[in-house]
Amino acid sequence: MHIHAYEKIWLATSVLLILFLLGSVTYGAVGPGVAMVSDTEPTIDAGALDEDERFSEPRVEQVGENEYAAYVVARQFGFQPDPIVLPANSTVTFYITSADVIHGFEVAGTNANTMVVPGEVSEITVRVEEPQEYGLICNEYCGAGHHVMEGKVNVVSQAAFEERTSGGDGE
Amino acid sequence: MAQNETAHAPADDVGGDTEEFDPIGTLTLIGIYFVILVLSWVYIYYIEFLGRDLVVVG
Amino acid sequence: MSEALEGDRTFADKYPEEARIVRAALLSSFLALVIGAILGIIQTLHRTDVARIIPSTDYYTVLTAHGVFLAISFTTFFLVGLFTWAVVRSLDRPLLNTKITWTWYGLMAVGMTMTGVSILAGFVDAVDMSADVLFTFYAPLQAHPMFYAGLAVFIVGSWIAGADYFRTWLAWKREHPDERIPLQTFMVLTTMAMWYIASSAVAASVLIFLLPWSLGLIDQVNPTLTRTLFWFFGHPVVYFWLMPAYLLWYTVLPKIAGGRLFSDPLARVVFVLFLLLSTPVGIHHQYLDPGIAEGFKFISMTNTLFLLLPSLLTAFTVVASVEYGARQRGGGGLLGWLTDLPWRDPAFTGMMLAGLMFAAGGFSGMVNAGMNINYMIHNTIWVPGHFHLTVGTAVALTFMAATYWIWPQISNKPIYSRTIGLVQVVVWFVGMALMSNAMHAQGIMGVPRRTAEPEYTGFDYPTMFGGFEELNIQIAIGGTLLFVSTVLFIGNLLLTMGNPKVSGLADPLPPALSGPDDSPKVLDNLRLWVGIALTLVVLAYALPLAAIVQRGGLLGPGVGTYPVWLAPLFDALADAAAPLVGAVADASASLAEVVR
Repeated sequence: MHIHAYEKIWLATSVLLILFLLGSVTYGAVGPGVAMVSDTEPTIDAGALDEDERFSEPRVEQVGENEYAAYVVARQFGFQPDPIVLPANSTVTFYITSADVIHGFEVAGTNANTMVVPGEVSEITVRVEEPQEYGLICNEYCGAGHHVMEGKVNVVSQAAFEERTSGGDGE
Repeated sequence: MAQNETAHAPADDVGGDTEEFDPIGTLTLIGIYFVILVLSWVYIYYIEFLGRDLVVVG
Repeated sequence: MSEALEGDRTFADKYPEEARIVRAALLSSFLALVIGAILGIIQTLHRTDVARIIPSTDYYTVLTAHGVFLAISFTTFFLVGLFTWAVVRSLDRPLLNTKITWTWYGLMAVGMTMTGVSILAGFVDAVDMSADVLFTFYAPLQAHPMFYAGLAVFIVGSWIAGADYFRTWLAWKREHPDERIPLQTFMVLTTMAMWYIASSAVAASVLIFLLPWSLGLIDQVNPTLTRTLFWFFGHPVVYFWLMPAYLLWYTVLPKIAGGRLFSDPLARVVFVLFLLLSTPVGIHHQYLDPGIAEGFKFISMTNTLFLLLPSLLTAFTVVASVEYGARQRGGGGLLGWLTDLPWRDPAFTGMMLAGLMFAAGGFSGMVNAGMNINYMIHNTIWVPGHFHLTVGTAVALTFMAATYWIWPQISNKPIYSRTIGLVQVVVWFVGMALMSNAMHAQGIMGVPRRTAEPEYTGFDYPTMFGGFEELNIQIAIGGTLLFVSTVLFIGNLLLTMGNPKVSGLADPLPPALSGPDDSPKVLDNLRLWVGIALTLVVLAYALPLAAIVQRGGLLGPGVGTYPVWLAPLFDALADAAAPLVGAVADASASLAEVVR
């Protein structure tokens, strides 16, 4: 089969491009350590979140030194808790599930972004830096009120966070 | 069967330069495209994506 | 028959009945295009807050209809029309039985009408029917049963169309035992083989789960399973849209440019690669799904990135064929030949601009394919920005441009105005450049797709590449230009149909520079390629599907049902949903317990 020399050059270049893209993604995974949301969490009964230890009271709680867990429920058409208050300079693991249909969980303008599927729990861990207010949006169509489904993620100073928690309400 | 690709082309139609045709212009254009692709990717992956807040690490 | 005589006869002269079928399919396609374009302009102006003439709750009815009419109906009807033309033309023999052909055409039309009606009924409150589930119909959002039933009928129609092409080819093969499969027929057969593999999953999802569920025969479905089955189909379907455009770029564009195809063997290799690699990649739409292991996602990414190869090869082969044409026309220099091309021909310019847009779409597609970078752009408006370059321009603009060339062949009527045609394709290009560019930019800012009101009350988007509002204006202007372009196209076509028939429009296609005899015979072994394609699909999907079923069961791990078509209570829901939905969820959860 006759292939022109130029086309062979392009074929080789194309393969190199593909390997470069694969290499970049692999670098992102092992260098900065970007991990994918995965099947780490067992399934859950979306109709019985009330009886679930983690999701009956959506909240942020401390689980280790500078480590926090945020249990978030997405439902038509809002997030709980709202706002999600996080302490600055900490590591936060979000556990997000849906009480009804498929939703999205996107902290606007950041890399914190995942699908939220009823019956599944999405687990993503992020490093939180300086105090800042982020918008939280549902980025998967979830019904006629989809466009009003928003929340906030407020990163506050450690001191402000502790004051809040000791003030009595966990949300 | 003029409409059938399996038919052999009439010689005068192809011209004498069939074998020698070197698509150098195409190679140039596609080389430019390749450079644009690589530069755009480097920007979007290494600067825009990895430079953002809340990198998912677990 | 002598070459000269043959050359003087158009497709419509030689195969009047087949030409009638092709015209019917193309007109059905363009009807969908018109409906889709009207919905498109409503959507663009609504989303960007330029003019909101419908309530935001109806936006999703518009969006569902826009997606289904354009992505399914416009594309597939054009495809079956074009493929019918391509098979008959390249085999140079009529279809076996046009009654069968009209049957599949009728089934597809009936199916699409059913689905379309179920969606559009969502606008009428008095009718208890709706299907606001968008083009992807993710459970547990539930559409009216007629939505799913119509899709099933439509797909069955397309399967019979494929069988029609295969049978016609087999008949030809008996008449020409030692000949290579003509290139266009080869392209049609590999594409339809891919379609059978891909659409089997969505047909299974609809017939086993979604339709029985919407009829109340089963209480719940597994959302991850039906979603995965959708994307099993949902990625190859983009190649199903694209393959007719490739067929035109490979076999018609070089001719219009004044040359001929650079390499027939490579064209075959490209289509074989698409058959092999289009399907085992769908999980790349689910990179951010919980319940699917990272390893499966990585495998899917590898397959997806290698799927770049046939497209990158196509870019070279097609441009080289055009360059050959330009040099035949006297073009010289390294790039000077570009000025020696028929830029005044709307068919040529339209297809070239479509190809240019596809090159840009190639970049955003690489980003979509890159696994972890999906955190940045997943479900943002970047994604529709991408596929408006691919299906919305590479495919749609190629179809419109090709119509300027093919319509005279299948109707013996000259195009009413080539100037209007030229303006039309350029306006589409400019409109899409504006709209798509701004959509990509907003996507990087985190602006979501699929929403009636992307502006939120609690926060502002970061400013980059221009602010949110400024980009909205670009989107609105771009979308408006696209609508104007569609109107010009349809108007021109209608006026063309009013033209009297003339003779002398025949424009036969030349063979390739490097012909089929240059390509290994194994390329034509369709059984082999389908076998390998199926093996790859099993390798890519058996374990993920088994894991999904093992995790959640065939019918899901306790998930409710959320019909969009029973209760028109959504306006109130926006404020006070939580307690109500909790009660519904409780009820359905106890149902799920009973089932177990």
